[in-house]
Amino acid sequence: MRVWLKIGAMAVAFAGLAAVGGVYGASYYYTTQHGQGCASCHEMAALVGAVHGSAHRNAGCMDCHEASLGTKLRHIRVHLGGKLPETIRLRDVDVLAMTANCKKCHQKEYAGWHSGPHSATYSQIFTDSIHNSKRRLMDDCLRCHGMHFGGPVRELVAPLDTKGPWKVMRPGLGDEPTMPCQACHQVHRQGVPESKPASRASVVGGAVDDSLAFFDRRERVHFAAATLPIPSLHDGARPIRMNQDPRQRLCYQCHASRVPETGTEAARSDWGPPVGSGDDRTPMGVHEGLSCLSCHFGHNESAAASCKTCHPQMSNCGLDVEKMDTSFASAQSKHDIHWVKCEDCHQHGVPKVKAPAGARPHRGAQGE
Amino acid sequence: MVGTERWPDGRMDEIAIHFYGSHPSQWELPMSLKAKDLLLTRRELVAGGVASSAVLAAGCGPAKLGDRESLTEGEARTLGVICDEIVPGDEFPSATQAGVLDYIDRQLARAYRRHRDAYTEGLEQAERLSRAKFGKTVAELGGAERLETVRAIERENGAFFELVRSHTMEGYYGSPRHGGNRDAVSWRMLGLEEPPVRGRAQFDLRKGSSS
Repeated sequence: MRVWLKIGAMAVAFAGLAAVGGVYGASYYYTTQHGQGCASCHEMAALVGAVHGSAHRNAGCMDCHEASLGTKLRHIRVHLGGKLPETIRLRDVDVLAMTANCKKCHQKEYAGWHSGPHSATYSQIFTDSIHNSKRRLMDDCLRCHGMHFGGPVRELVAPLDTKGPWKVMRPGLGDEPTMPCQACHQVHRQGVPESKPASRASVVGGAVDDSLAFFDRRERVHFAAATLPIPSLHDGARPIRMNQDPRQRLCYQCHASRVPETGTEAARSDWGPPVGSGDDRTPMGVHEGLSCLSCHFGHNESAAASCKTCHPQMSNCGLDVEKMDTSFASAQSKHDIHWVKCEDCHQHGVPKVKAPAGARPHRGAQGE
Repeated sequence: MVGTERWPDGRMDEIAIHFYGSHPSQWELPMSLKAKDLLLTRRELVAGGVASSAVLAAGCGPAKLGDRESLTEGEARTLGVICDEIVPGDEFPSATQAGVLDYIDRQLARAYRRHRDAYTEGLEQAERLSRAKFGKTVAELGGAERLETVRAIERENGAFFELVRSHTMEGYYGSPRHGGNRDAVSWRMLGLEEPPVRGRAQFDLRKGSSS
């Protein structure tokens, strides 16, 4: 009996050693076989097949995915145990680990994102005393901030009240980004590898990156940007002209308007969602019809150099548009650049434009 | 030391080993076990190695790139034809274009494991029907031939056809999280926006409990 116990113990020890050795050996194997090693497990084959048809087809699995010893052993346990999850997906820690790997190839994009508002960390978002003292945190916050977080908001931050002080509960997570690359990009989505354009493409209605997709927390899948809806917004009873740029469909998933408040004329008259309500920043007034991407460049979303894309140095009024009394020139201005109208300044009527022949007509004045 | 530190229930003390050195001779062993009992003979070492190798080798067979989780390549081709006859493509994607094959393949390895044999037998019969009728595999059939073959499957193996039809509908109209309905295409076909554009929550929590 004791002999068999020892044989069994040896078998377990050998299997353990082989597994540990195999795990480290596998890392090398995976990087050299262009995913064939990962596809050896049936449940992984479809994922590897997908990436081979994606814009990232030239990358190996381990170029993007980092797997610790614990992760690899977990994969082996799940694989041999046969209790596969219905959807094989990345955990929040895996997504965050990947974000650092995106930087290896996409330095410019990463730098832009990192310097912009979409790299806000869990601490910045969820322990903001100004917000939290007015509104309690809720699970719906995670739809746009921390969409990859693997639990409800009560497992993320405490206390869930308006008194605070608030703290991100998981150590180390506070400094991690709430909107990592995978919030807006599906790396495995079908597409062709990117190539650098010979010259900068127009920012108005430009091509859609193959990978551009919104990660829907509820479904735990990405939806391609081109398949997302663009809302119909209203300025009072008037439906405003919406730019159909497919890229900005992604923006509306989070920067969305509210339905009309109960008791307002908009609600009684059944007008659509009002432009500028909630988190919506759809251009109206002189900028109506523009896409978000017309002014907000790149991954840092900066609009600092956007005016000169369309405007001559001087406006039709003979003023420098960047110095007009708008929120572009000063955050304190009551004229938000997103929906500023000629009438905001010309309160006694908009003068007739005396534009030179052939000059671009003023959008707002012409009612385009 | 031995015997003074016991497990709470007093049951495990006989195999509790206290490590005080790197060599087995330095280990203190409780009661009946001796250090030499733990050392392996050559025969035991070989037997253990063989046993562990057998366990690892029996784990699973390797897949290759392009393989599916459950369906074979041939089965997937045949099933794809049947599914696309049930939901053909028009201005909206067909069943296979919407990921129905992915859905069925994934579920046959999980929740629908019990239907795996029915698919194997049903798809084999579909191939037999196709060869008997047209002398070609299902995947080689033309448009009208495919429809005729699928109708024949429905007549002769109604239970299998119903199973496939039911799973096709689930994959086409179900939630994308289950592997089908790629990009919620069927929901958009029905006029539903998915994911919907939603603003922040409308309710004001300041009016309710705030702590």
